[in-house]
Amino acid sequence: MELGKIEKLLERYEEGRTSVAEENLLRDYFLSHEVPPHLSSYKLIFRYTSSQRDEKLETEPKMGSSRSKIAWSSIAAVLVLALGVYFFNEADQNLNQNDISSVSDEELAIQKTKETLNMVSQLMNEGTADLVYLQEFNKTTNKILKTD
Amino acid sequence: MKERTFLNIIDPVKDKMYRLALRLLTSKEAAEDATQEVILKLWDRKEKIKHYANVEAFAMTVTKNYCLDQLKSKQNSHLRIVHQNYESHAQSLQSEIEVNDEMVLLGRIVEKLPEQQKMIFQLRDIEQYEYEEIAEIMEMNQTAIRVALSRARKAIRESLIKKHNYGIR
Repeated sequence: MELGKIEKLLERYEEGRTSVAEENLLRDYFLSHEVPPHLSSYKLIFRYTSSQRDEKLETEPKMGSSRSKIAWSSIAAVLVLALGVYFFNEADQNLNQNDISSVSDEELAIQKTKETLNMVSQLMNEGTADLVYLQEFNKTTNKILKTD
Repeated sequence: MKERTFLNIIDPVKDKMYRLALRLLTSKEAAEDATQEVILKLWDRKEKIKHYANVEAFAMTVTKNYCLDQLKSKQNSHLRIVHQNYESHAQSLQSEIEVNDEMVLLGRIVEKLPEQQKMIFQLRDIEQYEYEEIAEIMEMNQTAIRVALSRARKAIRESLIKKHNYGIR
């Protein structure tokens, strides 16, 4: 093909008016011929566009494997949660029922309450007994203040 | 639809999808992930796919939209900065190296184009789609595509010439 025709085609190419077939004609021409320097930029462009088609997706597409993993793990999580809640509630109920049955007698209930309160106050007193040492602390600070 | 049939439909398109994703997202990993994600999306909609006249164009449209979304979302805003991982299979020959340098340079020039021009250039000059198909993929009319393509082609050549003159002077 003569150069004049090529230049005509290039003009239309730049304006986006060439067909795919004409563009392939240009590409073939530039890839297989030596061209004058003012057209060498086209040579590079055509070389670039044809080289870019070699880029391939290297990983094989996987179907649904990652999705189903997420799905399965969410099912597992829900199961664990449901079972956990179920057993927890079960245990709680048993505890409550035992407690109620053990203090069915009112008399006994009062007795138990008194015992408990007594124990609490006793422990309280034991606790406050230890606080006596605080007094000692106050004494010493007073001494220091006096010497000053 | 069986997985096999689906893969047979996708197989001839998947490299084109990957290349479009690569053009937009620049990084190979991101492009691979995007292609995988789009294929999964299509697989989820496999029953609807049968009704599309042109499955390939539809797959390309989904890829385009997915990549544009990726570019918009903040988490991937760093992708633009990541340099393209060009592998140079350069031989020791000086001319080979020069040609590869030119290819890298061209890659950078194309990268600087606006996204729309980049995509249209990719679809026409690299994948060699007809204007009709590009119009379908890009969801634009053919005249607008011709205009954008013309701009892209001119811009690429102009910046290539500019770069060359810098090298000489």
